[in-house]
Amino acid sequence: MSHNDTTFKYSGTVGMQHEEPLLFEHAHEAPESISLPGVDGVISAELSAFSRKQAANIPGLSEPETVRHFVRMSQWNHGIETGFYPLGSCTMKYNPRVNEQVVRLPGLAHIHPDQPEETAQGVLELMYELQGWLGDISGLPHVTLQPAAGAHGELVGLMMIRAALDARGQQHRRKVLVPDSAHGTNPASAALCGMHTVELKSGADGRIDLDELKAHLDDDTAALMMTNPNTAGAFESDIKEICQLVHDAGGLVYGDGANLNALVGIARPGDMGIDCLHINVHKTFSTPHGGGGPGGGPVVVNDLLAPYLPVPRIEKHGDRFTLAYNCDTSVGPVLGTPGQIGVYVRANAYISAFGRQHLHKIAEDAVLNANYILHRLKDRYHVPFEGLCKHECLLTDEIQNKHGVKTLDIAKRLIDLGFHPMTVYFPLIVHGAMLIEPTETESRETLDAFCDAMLEIADACEAGDTEALHEAPLKPFRRRLDETQAARKPVLVWPE
Amino acid sequence: MTIPANLKYTKDHEWVRIEGDIATFGISDHAQEALGDIVFVELPEIGREVNAGEAYAVVESVKAVSDVYAPLAGEVIEVNEELEGEPEKVNTDAYGTGWIAKIKITSDASVELMSDDEYTTFLEE
Amino acid sequence: MRFLPHTDTDRTAMLEKIGVSAMSDLFADISPEFHIEQGSLNIADALSEAGIVRKFAQAAEKNRNATNTRYFLGGGTYHHFVPAVVDYIVSRGEFLTAYTPYQPEIAQGTLQALFEFQTMIARLTGMDVSNASMYEAATATAEAALMARRITRKNRVVMAGSVNPRYRSVTSNYLSRLEGEYVEVDIGQFGTDLDSVIASIDDKTACVIVQYPDFYGSVYDLAPLRAACDAHKCLMVVAFSDISAFALIESPGAMGADIAVGSGQSLGIPMGFGGPHLGLFTCKQKYLRQMPGRVCGLTNDADGKRGFVLTLSTREQHIRREKATSNICSNQGLMCTAAATYMALMGDAGLATVARHSAAALQSLVSRLPSHISAATGPHYNETVLSFADSETRNRFLAAARDKDMFAGIPLEQIDTNAEARHLLVATTEMVEADDINDYLAILEVVK
Repeated sequence: MSHNDTTFKYSGTVGMQHEEPLLFEHAHEAPESISLPGVDGVISAELSAFSRKQAANIPGLSEPETVRHFVRMSQWNHGIETGFYPLGSCTMKYNPRVNEQVVRLPGLAHIHPDQPEETAQGVLELMYELQGWLGDISGLPHVTLQPAAGAHGELVGLMMIRAALDARGQQHRRKVLVPDSAHGTNPASAALCGMHTVELKSGADGRIDLDELKAHLDDDTAALMMTNPNTAGAFESDIKEICQLVHDAGGLVYGDGANLNALVGIARPGDMGIDCLHINVHKTFSTPHGGGGPGGGPVVVNDLLAPYLPVPRIEKHGDRFTLAYNCDTSVGPVLGTPGQIGVYVRANAYISAFGRQHLHKIAEDAVLNANYILHRLKDRYHVPFEGLCKHECLLTDEIQNKHGVKTLDIAKRLIDLGFHPMTVYFPLIVHGAMLIEPTETESRETLDAFCDAMLEIADACEAGDTEALHEAPLKPFRRRLDETQAARKPVLVWPE
Repeated sequence: MTIPANLKYTKDHEWVRIEGDIATFGISDHAQEALGDIVFVELPEIGREVNAGEAYAVVESVKAVSDVYAPLAGEVIEVNEELEGEPEKVNTDAYGTGWIAKIKITSDASVELMSDDEYTTFLEE
Repeated sequence: MRFLPHTDTDRTAMLEKIGVSAMSDLFADISPEFHIEQGSLNIADALSEAGIVRKFAQAAEKNRNATNTRYFLGGGTYHHFVPAVVDYIVSRGEFLTAYTPYQPEIAQGTLQALFEFQTMIARLTGMDVSNASMYEAATATAEAALMARRITRKNRVVMAGSVNPRYRSVTSNYLSRLEGEYVEVDIGQFGTDLDSVIASIDDKTACVIVQYPDFYGSVYDLAPLRAACDAHKCLMVVAFSDISAFALIESPGAMGADIAVGSGQSLGIPMGFGGPHLGLFTCKQKYLRQMPGRVCGLTNDADGKRGFVLTLSTREQHIRREKATSNICSNQGLMCTAAATYMALMGDAGLATVARHSAAALQSLVSRLPSHISAATGPHYNETVLSFADSETRNRFLAAARDKDMFAGIPLEQIDTNAEARHLLVATTEMVEADDINDYLAILEVVK
């Protein structure tokens, strides 16, 4: 808050715009705290000897003040419930409310991972069912729900690949090929797995270049990590040949499942030759992103990699579901708990709503919507790679550059026009990338409004009316934030 | 953009000033401009032996990060500690107060060094 | 399908605009051999909303839970009170359905909540800075070991045997594919033998990892370890399972930790069968740039108004790729908002009450144990180990307790696989009432 701003002199709210101070600035003594149950008994003398000497200085507000503080802050956020959120590669789709309802059932929320297994059969059954579905959807039948997010899944998948190669006596295979269009998590995960990456230059069509691939495949190659559809929104049509080349060279193929939304119910990565894939359930299966997490990154694998799945595994023996911890060939534990169970409850509910009959409609409408946007914008924005797209379309700022307007300006102007910007400057293989992913849960009305806004921006550029673009955003209660200042003199906590 | 005549340059856009057996390193005006606002410089430890062409420091802007390579081999004898508080000096005075490290030259090893004219031509290419 | 806004008329019109005649044309780039038949997947039939509610209610019904059973279970997951306000705030669509705040102008809600979270976590742990979360405690511990290796440029990691076995096994697993040495120090039974830990440190050691209170609930002085770390120029990493402790006992920061990591699940997050929980990561200011994960920082906007942004992102995978401090991208963001709301609602006084009641319940239980049961000695916060004569007696007790709607503890060998099968890991929180303890003791008497 600007302390000399007199607009919000009294209540901090004027005309439905509001400021809200930090908790630490609510300048009054903490009221009586919330009433708490429990044993108000004595603490042993030997524990008292360790008493904290200085209070932590956690402010403490009354309940009404706490609610107002956070509700007011919430209103500064754009969410999928408040507006269109076409972030490419992030699959921001509607998060059904019934999923929020069922995950809060006491029998799913207030249960302990170490309570007797026979008293937790319901949750284990839901997880086991989800494993089966993810295996079937992907064509890779063996599943771990352990990875907490996509990047964690990458690490776990690479651990399994490494273990399988080691079991073949090929401890020297430590090279991971990663296209230059890949997510940054791919090389970071490989490094964490004690492997090194070699970047493959994408072909002129944004896809994997087979000659480039062949040139880098050798006896040291452990794996190719690929995203299909790739991060330019294009399906790797050579997928069969790609997998064959890698397998012939003695390597395995890791699939980054970030873009599974384009394929679900239509085609299966396992059938194409992918050996191992992580699935971002917070993308494809609509578990809410929560401002950055929690996610869920189950990994699905073929028979070859099945022995190496991490523990615990959720198994069914007779009628009984169990968490199995013992397995000699496993790559071991990768998380301290059975996983992001609440996230998976929601994913199960999302798949349940579509069921066998409708699951393919997720991919169909997602791809339809992306192509519709591409079609409406392709004459006014530069399209780096021709042809149909899958669930997301890639544009660049090349045409607008001529008028001195950059991708960042377009993104920020979209905010003023009521939309969340698309993903910007990713993938790195084109200059000024704008990656637009509408998902299946957006109406034609919304898509048209977004396209109209994009065309209005294109018009403004051509008319030389670019001031609002450079100044944008003007409408939110904060303008462009100074990231340089934040990084030069980092202030991550409020001083006491 | 400036390219002082009394310095030598590398293809990785570092500059070096050689005075006797002491060399001062920094990054060129062109490099700082390409990186944008510098927010952090990771300095080498004093006493560290660096080879010619070895990454001895890291410069970071908000959205990019770049290794800085040593033009010559030597032992780090001094680093510009002022950059810890004011990394922006690399932007405002790349050849002066934005210097990064000084080394004592310990061998003839060197990457290919260019004169100011050669570097100007190199940038134009 | 109720989540899909298009009518078939819309679809036809849109396909026409695109210039194709059928939906299948949009998938023509996928070789026909890979197309699967619609409806051929082995997935259940579609459910109506009412059907979904019924299905999940039936599944939930099969699970005993904390509304019908008394929980004395810990081991990294604790049944603390979750105020209604916390769940309400994280149910708000603006928090729940936002993405990572990459466009700060329209994500100040998430960002300010993160900043408040980081500040309060730093204060509670007594550390200088906190990041904006890790997945959970075990991976946070592994990341702490990796960070210490980067800072010290040494690669030997010493782990106390009294750290939660799951944190240990994940950490050792993470380190096993990298060069370096990992040493686990056997500490004897149910406590932390600091002398053995200290004896294991050498000049090649990057860090020592201890848990405080340790896995068995034991509280002990870390000052000798701090001195030993200084002598060998290695970092002191302190892990914790139940952060509520630090409203009562001295914080890891005050004990001299360089890095403190652990679980924030106790801060208003339901047990949820293990997730989503909240991994916490804090450190000294001077190590900030080697810290993994996202962080939120304070800045100003173009008009000079205060605002917040994700910052120091050059450490992260999307910029530094294989040289990043970690591969983490998605974290537990919403759980940070939950924890911030919880802490604001509690304040120092509420947090102190939670901690006092949690500890007092254990003290009440342990001080009245019948003679055939022994408890671990020394100061404990809210968790300890009870030892029975044999496994048969223990299991008979557990069964009897269950008959009285009580989960009386976790068989120690379930987590600590080397432990004898006659021990029970018992945890208490403010959700344990005096009557529950009386019942617990009464059942113990019966199974003698």
